[in-house]
This record gives sequence, structure tokens and C-alpha cells, in this order.
Amino acid sequence: MTEDKFESFLKKTAQDYNTPPARVPRDEMWAAIQAKRSAGPRVVYGGGATYVVSQRRFGTKVWLGAAAAAMLLVATGVGIGRWTAAPGGQPGVSPLPVNGQTPTGSDANPSAVTGSPSTTAGRQPAAASRQSNAVATAKPNASRSSAPGVDRNPAAVASTGLPAGRSSRADQLAAVQHLSEAEALLTSFRTRSNTDQQMDAQLGKWARQLLSNTRLLLDSPIADDPQRRPLLEDLELVLVQIVQLSPGSTPQDRDLIEKTLQQDHVMTRLRTAIPAGAQRGS
Amino acid sequence: MVAYESPGLVNDIELITRVVAGDAAAERELYETYVDRIYRLAFRLSGDDEMARDYTQATFIRAFEKIGSFRGESSLSTWLHSIGMSVTLNGLRKTKRQRSREAPIEEGSTAAFARAEAEPDLKERLARAIDSLADKYRTVFVMHDVEGYTHEEISGTLNIPVGTSKSHLFQARNKLRVLLADFAPEWVS
Repeated sequence: MTEDKFESFLKKTAQDYNTPPARVPRDEMWAAIQAKRSAGPRVVYGGGATYVVSQRRFGTKVWLGAAAAAMLLVATGVGIGRWTAAPGGQPGVSPLPVNGQTPTGSDANPSAVTGSPSTTAGRQPAAASRQSNAVATAKPNASRSSAPGVDRNPAAVASTGLPAGRSSRADQLAAVQHLSEAEALLTSFRTRSNTDQQMDAQLGKWARQLLSNTRLLLDSPIADDPQRRPLLEDLELVLVQIVQLSPGSTPQDRDLIEKTLQQDHVMTRLRTAIPAGAQRGS
Repeated sequence: MVAYESPGLVNDIELITRVVAGDAAAERELYETYVDRIYRLAFRLSGDDEMARDYTQATFIRAFEKIGSFRGESSLSTWLHSIGMSVTLNGLRKTKRQRSREAPIEEGSTAAFARAEAEPDLKERLARAIDSLADKYRTVFVMHDVEGYTHEEISGTLNIPVGTSKSHLFQARNKLRVLLADFAPEWVS
């Protein structure tokens, strides 16, 4: 009798043990399941799963390794820059001609930057403006490789607009490296397949790393440059959008980012801000 | 307590056939039919919404991967629950997450209940007592006494004989009776 009473008491009282919520989050879980299935191994009914053959040139480890290395380099550069910057605002070394080839007003007229050898030095913005179509399809390295020497011209340093007393050589290196990395990311983003959600996830991770560096740079003397600050701010916006791309995002979401890139001419401005040979480690 | 229901063998076969044929609606139907039970059980055992969601999602992902190999030796419900329990119990072992109310109670010991007078709340005490059970006892107890599974269903889900399921339940109740001895008047009266 006591046994029965105990069982009855136990069953009744135990109903409060880890009580599940009244509403089961069906839709949320279903969405997560679909996202994981589309991002993960392709389902093959019949007891097994086959993996989607990657069409990417580089594996995840390569991308993440490169991103981590770049992040480390940028962080080190910014750190050294801050450390070596003289309190009085006079750096020990002259700044690099990072922005040397940037023509005045390039933000307003992004096409006036690259596309042909005659315009890459930034000396003929008016002529360059007629090359807008070429710019839109130009490869990332085209502009930089065509004007080797220009950026090393000390005279160009004066036109960078950088506050000579506040931005050190290390800062410049860090900024150049960061912008190169951002350009690589955005190029990858624009050229990836719309259906490659795995790639989106990797780009998201990469963008997240670059986003923190961008914000770091925005808080550094690098951002005192009147042309570079808006570029970094626009870059920050684009990176946030890429970071927020979920695996199940629609083509419309990606189109939105593409429009931002085009409207703000981010790619063109990025390429303008990167001096020749920067990606070769100079 | 929730009744254990299965849509029946005929419906199972039809549903599986459609899923294997790539019918997305059938996948959703299968999910909708069983998700509540899988989630509830995962939540009961983990006590954590996030973990329960993870285990439920993993269960269905694995089920969709393997449904082509389902041979109908058990009901679809039992098969799904079997995957769900495997995922959940493995997950709980791996995470080793200590729930806040878990106390270092030795199995079969009343040592931790020396604090009974300081914490008189019966439900809290019962929860601790259930947490302190060995996994095999706790799982059977939760499935049978809390969620209302039969011994046959537990047997199929955990892949143990019915007798073992009954034995585990008996052991679990005995341990709980000892651990809750302070509250004997509650059930004697």
C-alpha cells in the first residue's frame, strides 16, 4: 500500500523535474536543421552521406590561416605604431606613401583610379574617369602592378593627407596590410558562387576578424586621414553585413551587400588606397 | 504526462517512402510528428533549452541521413527515439556540464541530505535526488515515471531487455525513497 502511494507521489511530484517549456521551438529548430544540412554533408538516402566536393581553390585551413596571419600582422603593426609614436607627434621615420596615388576627389569619382596604366599614378583623374567600365572589371592587382615607382616618390607622401606627426611607419604598414586583406576578402565575396553557403560561412569568419581590425584602425591615428576614415567606415559597414550573412541567407541579402559595394565604390577606393607592391610585402 | 503515440506502421512506411523519394514536405511532416517528444525528452534529461535544441536538431539531421537504412524492425517512433537518446546521452556525457542544482551526492547515500532541514523544498530535493541517480536509472525513471513511456518502448529505445528496464526503474525508485525519507509523511498520508 505504502509502495503504491510512494509511486503515485513520485510520479506526481516528478512532473516538475526539468519541466520543458510549453512551446516547443519547432520553427527555430527546423530552420537550424535545414541550415546545417545545407552547409554540411549532402544527404544521400540509403544509409550514408557523401561530402560535397569543394570547388574552392583553397581549403578552410588555408583561408583561416591566412586571415589569422594577416590579423596578427595588423595588430602587431598598430601596436608597434602606437608604441613608437613620439609623444610630441613626431615619428622617428617618415611615413610610407600609402595613399600616394590617390587622386584628389577620388571618393566622389571612383572611376578615376585604375584601369589603365596611364591613370594608375593618379595624375590624370579626368582621363581616368572615362575608364569607368574598365574599372568595374579590373583585376585587383592590375592598377598596382602598372605603376611601380610612383608610390615610392617622396613627393607623393605630401599628397597623402596623412598627419605626418601622428601616423607612424608601422601604422602605415598595418593599414596597407589591412586594406589589402579587405580587398582580398571583398574580391572573394564578389566572385564566390551564390549557392556556396560553406564559403559564406568562411567569409563570415574572415570578415569578423577584419571587422575588429577595422575598428582598431578607426580608433588609431590612421583614421585621422580625411580620405581614409570614410573608407574605413564604409568598409566597416560592408564587413558587418558580411558577418551577419547567415548560412540560410537569400540572394537578396547578398545583393544588398553588392549594392553597398557598388554605391560606395568601396573596391575602387580600397585599391586606390593600397600602394603598388603592397601585397608583395614591401 | 504525455501519451506516447505513433502514427502507425502504414503511415510510417508511407512517410518514409516519401522522405526517401526526396519529398521535402514529408521531411517536415516527419519532423512535426515527432519533434515535440524528442525535444521534451532531451529537455527532461538535460534541463537546458540550448542543449535540448542541439540534441533535437542533431537527432533529426542524423535521422534524415540514415532513414534510407531504416528496415522497419521497430516502429519509426522507436527508431527516432533511439537516435535521440543516443545523441542526448552521448552529448550529456561529453559536455559534462554541471547543472546548478547538481550536488555531489553519492549514489545510494544520504550524506548530502544532511542539508534537508536547511532546504525543505520537496521539489528541489526531488530534483537533486533524480540528478544524483546513475545515468541508466535516471534515464529509465525519467522516461517511465515522468514522460510516460512503457517498458516496451524504453526497451526498444535504449536497446535493453524489458526486464532490465523494469529493474532499473525499481532501483531508481528505491534510491529515491531513501533519499527522500525525510518526506515520508508526504506520501504516507
